Amino acid sequence: MSVRALVRTVSELCITVGTLIVLFVGYILFWTGVKADGAMNDQIDRLQRQWSKGTVAPTAAPHGSPSPAEPEPYVPGRAFAVMYIPRLGFTWNKPVLENTAAGTLKKGLGHYAGTARLGQRGNFAVAGHRRTYGDPFKDFPRLRPGDAVVLTEGSTWFTYRIDKGPYKTVPTDVEVIDPVPRKSGYGRPGRYLTLTTCDPEWGHSHRLIVWAHLDSTQPVEAGEPRALRR
Amino acid sequence: MYGWIWRHLPGNAWLKALISLVLVLAVVYVLFQYIFPWAEPLLPFNDVTVDNQ
Repeated sequence: MSVRALVRTVSELCITVGTLIVLFVGYILFWTGVKADGAMNDQIDRLQRQWSKGTVAPTAAPHGSPSPAEPEPYVPGRAFAVMYIPRLGFTWNKPVLENTAAGTLKKGLGHYAGTARLGQRGNFAVAGHRRTYGDPFKDFPRLRPGDAVVLTEGSTWFTYRIDKGPYKTVPTDVEVIDPVPRKSGYGRPGRYLTLTTCDPEWGHSHRLIVWAHLDSTQPVEAGEPRALRR
Repeated sequence: MYGWIWRHLPGNAWLKALISLVLVLAVVYVLFQYIFPWAEPLLPFNDVTVDNQ
């Protein structure tokens, strides 16, 4: 092979690799977002269709009878609620799906399987992407104590209020999603909510956490909770 | 490499250009549909939970 052919081939390889890298960055930054936005809208549409048909799984009223009927378990990978966080944007709403598998988190936020159900005693823990796949928790550090986190599973609005965070910790710190997380400042069992995402924005060395407690509930028929009204 | 492909495409320059374009689009499709989704979990953006050791 002549020197000319060698130089040409090496140059072509360099250009090819460069193009590949640019395409991959475009995929990460842009295309995962396009795919995730579509998937999240699908999930919310599906939930709303399901709710409008009136097939909401009966959930026990949080302040109701002490021995509520056992509600149906969440189906892994399926959406069961929609979350609204006004601080992240007035139009910010994301579906919450059961479990935190990588495939689930591509379609919305993931509820840690094994943590409490929405609105129930214990800790309702939810994870979401900080970056890529629609960037749901991109503005996570802007959350402040007092901010509302509103969820609905079709029949009830649950308004949680953030008490502490964003709190930075390490990925192995699993006790942040305990029923009563030690570092949250909560002293006794209650109806709590934990949100987790990664930190730094594009890294995975740490996690950001916020904790919230259930502030109020109201039936869907009573209209949107005050936190969602402009 | 690209010169070799170009020489082996049939037809005149226009047809070659058209086939090249189709080939490029096919490669991009395969990348976005199969290769990148496979490579993406190797990067750290998926680690948002506290339970993966």
